[in-house]
Amino acid sequence: MLRSLLGAVLLALRFGLCFCGSELAGPRSVAVQRDLARQTLQLTWESDSSVFDIEILHTELEDMVFNATVTVPADSSRGQHQWNWTSAVPLECTSHSVRLRAREDNRLSQWSPKQTLPGMDLPDQTQSKMFPQDRVVPVGSTLSFCCIVGEGKEFGSIHFKSQKMEVVRLSRRSYATTVTLHGPSGPTGDNVVCFSGPLLITGAVVFVGYPPGDEGLECETSDLTSAECHWSKGRDTKLRLKSALTSYTLNGRFCADASGRNAKNPLQCKWEHWQRNWTLVAQNPLGSVRLTDSADVNERVRPVAPWNLTAPVVKAWNASVEWNWAVAAYKTLPMICQVQLTGDGHTITRNVTGVGLAQAVLRDLRPDEAYGVKVRCAALNHFWKWGSWSSSHTLHTQMDRPETPDVWIWMKNERTAWVLWKPLSGRDSHGALLGYDVSVSDEGVKGWKTLSLPQHVQNTSVTLGNTTASITVSVTARNLIGSSPPARVVGPEYRADSDDAASELIGRGGGFDLAWAESGNASLGYVLEWFSTGCEADCHVEWLKIPEGETSAKVQSDSLNAGVRYTLSVYAVSEESSVLQHRSHGYTQEMTPAQPVRGLAANQLGSDVQLTWDPAAMVTHRGFLRGYTVYLSNASHLDLIANVTDSQATGYTVQALPVGSYKFVVKSYTSAGEGVGSTVAIKLDLDADMLVIEILISLAVMTFLIIFITIVCYKKRKWVMKAFYPNIPAPKVPGDWPTHQGTLDVKPSPPSMLQIVESPDWDSSKDGLVVIPEEDSDEAEGYGDQPVDGDSDEPPLLRYYNHVMDDPHPPDSSGSSTNSISSTQTDVTYTGVQTSSSSSCGADAAQPDIQLVAGGYRPQMQPCVVPDADPEPAPPGGFAGYKPQCSWRQDSPEEQSLSGSLGSPTSVTSSQFLLPDASEEEEQQQSNTWFHNFLSGKS
Amino acid sequence: MAGLTNGKQGSGGQAGKAAALARLLHEESLRLLELYREKESLPLQPVEGDRMVSSPPFTSQLSAADKLCFLHAALTKCVHLLDRAIGREDTEFGNDKQGEYTKLRQTVKDRLRHLLQSTERLLVEQKGSAACSTEADVKEETDGLFSGGTFNLKMWIHRVLQEVVHWSDTASQTLHSLPADRGKDQKRMSRTGRRSKRSVRK
Repeated sequence: MLRSLLGAVLLALRFGLCFCGSELAGPRSVAVQRDLARQTLQLTWESDSSVFDIEILHTELEDMVFNATVTVPADSSRGQHQWNWTSAVPLECTSHSVRLRAREDNRLSQWSPKQTLPGMDLPDQTQSKMFPQDRVVPVGSTLSFCCIVGEGKEFGSIHFKSQKMEVVRLSRRSYATTVTLHGPSGPTGDNVVCFSGPLLITGAVVFVGYPPGDEGLECETSDLTSAECHWSKGRDTKLRLKSALTSYTLNGRFCADASGRNAKNPLQCKWEHWQRNWTLVAQNPLGSVRLTDSADVNERVRPVAPWNLTAPVVKAWNASVEWNWAVAAYKTLPMICQVQLTGDGHTITRNVTGVGLAQAVLRDLRPDEAYGVKVRCAALNHFWKWGSWSSSHTLHTQMDRPETPDVWIWMKNERTAWVLWKPLSGRDSHGALLGYDVSVSDEGVKGWKTLSLPQHVQNTSVTLGNTTASITVSVTARNLIGSSPPARVVGPEYRADSDDAASELIGRGGGFDLAWAESGNASLGYVLEWFSTGCEADCHVEWLKIPEGETSAKVQSDSLNAGVRYTLSVYAVSEESSVLQHRSHGYTQEMTPAQPVRGLAANQLGSDVQLTWDPAAMVTHRGFLRGYTVYLSNASHLDLIANVTDSQATGYTVQALPVGSYKFVVKSYTSAGEGVGSTVAIKLDLDADMLVIEILISLAVMTFLIIFITIVCYKKRKWVMKAFYPNIPAPKVPGDWPTHQGTLDVKPSPPSMLQIVESPDWDSSKDGLVVIPEEDSDEAEGYGDQPVDGDSDEPPLLRYYNHVMDDPHPPDSSGSSTNSISSTQTDVTYTGVQTSSSSSCGADAAQPDIQLVAGGYRPQMQPCVVPDADPEPAPPGGFAGYKPQCSWRQDSPEEQSLSGSLGSPTSVTSSQFLLPDASEEEEQQQSNTWFHNFLSGKS
Repeated sequence: MAGLTNGKQGSGGQAGKAAALARLLHEESLRLLELYREKESLPLQPVEGDRMVSSPPFTSQLSAADKLCFLHAALTKCVHLLDRAIGREDTEFGNDKQGEYTKLRQTVKDRLRHLLQSTERLLVEQKGSAACSTEADVKEETDGLFSGGTFNLKMWIHRVLQEVVHWSDTASQTLHSLPADRGKDQKRMSRTGRRSKRSVRK
């Protein structure tokens, strides 16, 4: 008992509910139906409640797929509750069980008995299957498929478009997968296949596409009775499966013409009788679209094409065409028709109107012209659309007289005029031309002279009777029908100087823009004439006729070429005359000169180079020549040295060039740029005449300078003497010295004496040279303190002597100088005294202990002394006496002579002095004498 | 080359030509099957199902005439199946006339008819008429064609193409072996004739 009570409590707790009062009545007459296509379960039941708990589960695995409390009011008419549930997976995939109970506040009823809907995976269904089959879904849908493997087989995998999918097990044999269909499927749908191991056991096809997208319904009539509706397909549904194709109904009637796979766009559907309102429904498994149109029959008339088009009347300038209608109702229909004429490459469309229109008159046609004609029509009052074109009919207009030719007279020169006319086009000839009749009236020759020329001739020349006569020309064109009205022109006066005042003209856009002053004598307007300047024969003269009142024109012709000079003339034309109004020369486009400068030559003019060239022919200019540029050509580039802006120039002089080779490049140029350069090379040489002149001038200048200096020196000789050759004070001679001058007999020491000097067995006790005391004690003392050269073991003089003795050929003066005793020790002494002493003393003078006496003035009467001996006067016979130093000269061995050396300060090391040359001696003696005399003022 | 060589041997040449035709058909039908698999994204794995056209195995016990009879009957069924498959396919899915698959499908269809006619001529040559007692032995399986959905239709078309591949291969092998067999028969017949002559002499 206790247990029972406890169990009841636990049960109550388990449900969380209390049983308060009486038990709630459960749903009655529960029924479940399923819609397999929609994967929907429909539950119906009876109950007094309106809130229900509903549970749906997969029966076999008891997987709860739905569990919720829903409010489902009873249907007022039948008192039943109805509730639908849509399954994510097809209901065939597995069995579904449903139960429900009523809920009211906290009270619950008992669950209804389970209602089970069997799936296709029951054991009695042994075959492998897949669901859903052939489902048609819109793009972007998500769809679940299940594979039920056959009894005894093992599930392998599910593939969608060759891609293995993830699966969920629904039951023992059922497996499901979900795919998202992002894009439309192929023409035969997308396959979902199920494998058992490697074996494909079953599958399904899904068709993914769009609902119909048809648009633009328009209904019209061509016979005012029946209707034909058109529309466009719009977006492709991408569904090719027969059962998924779009089907159409027009006003509720199936439209077989539009339905089907092979219907052409735009789609159409016909109806026997016109109805004011039209409704088209396009439908496929994914949806439908509804299109409407509404109009009165008269507002939607689109006539059929006219037939049997003919041209019963055809003349030169007009024709009439007729046609028939296949619809009798058009007889009362106001219509507008288009007649399209195609002839000579042009298409002209003309509109005609009328009730039941069946003919049209075509005016302003061209004679002798073939036209293709076709017609289409539409309703005039309620224009809807043009009907279809009729088939084309060809008509040929008749011939007529030609048009007046365009004639002009070009004065080639004073006596020759060219009558020119433009060939008549087929459009203007109005039939095949037979020829031209040219009548000429020359003032110099009375009467008219007429020429008949064939049709291919376009000009003829006329020789004037005299140079002042004017010419009048009349030209007519002839064909089978007759002659054209005459074209009459008075030839202009030829003026040779008319080019002088011509202006320059630069074209634009391949042509010329011309403007001129208005003339009062232009009753027939103006003629603008142009031709290539400088043409000699077969000049292509073109002209343009400008109406009176206009004073500007644009010349545009295919025959105008860039880089060609044209002469453009404007003539004021009247009945009586043609007067030149304006002339200019121009280029449509300037170009660089075509040819290099011709005849380029270079000539040397001293240090200048004169470049000359020939003037270029005008045809090669290809633009207005603006000048020449002169370049000096280097190895890799050109240096501009001159820009000759005179276009008429034929030369240029390059000035002051150094001697050398030069290469010059000369280019002509226009506004478009420089042409090709011409090159000339020249080698500049020295100018021999100028060189001689320069030398002569230099010599003259030098001579003048020498003379000038000489004169100055002569005039200032005293100052010169004082400055450069001061008087040497007379030596104080003790004793009685002869005053007359004599020749000093100097004999060089014999070499044997030098050998004696070299003798190692020199006796120090023997006499040697001693320092000669000077009267000027101070000076003597200064020099006496001068140390002897200590770098050598032997005294300098002795060293010199040794040298002389070793070399029997004494070195030249320079060598002697450099080998002599150091210049710092070059002392001045009176060589005469020394020579005398050496001469007189001989070997006695060559003592090893000779002390070099520092330079200084010494009385030249110094005798050769020996040590320990008082100075004694030299014997009178061996001494020529004192010679004053009036002939001072530089210490130069070459210039030394014995006589010159006497009385001169001389290096003691000078070998020349010691070994004088007889010839030199004489010359130097003479020159010294001359110079001495010069300085002394002697002549 | 074998066909050309056989073609020099009178009626054996007909068989050679037919064998070459069958070989060509086999190659084209293989390619057609491949295109169909590509078009339908079907795997290379075998599809569940039995032979649609079946006949007794072509063992050595069967005479050449019997083989020709069975082959002719099977090819007739294949033509019939292929016609139906093409018709169903076009009806359900439309027809891309410019596609390679559609063009090759038409070629295989025409070639199969040609092979059938060639086989028929050989059969008349062999037996004097095209009538065969074995015709009823070949079964054509069409069950389930209309019961399933589009996928079943596709599988059925796939199987039809497989049948064409199979029977074109069988035809190629069978027709190739025919001249040799016929030559053996002729030798056997000539030997038998000589023996009978000798026995007569005896």
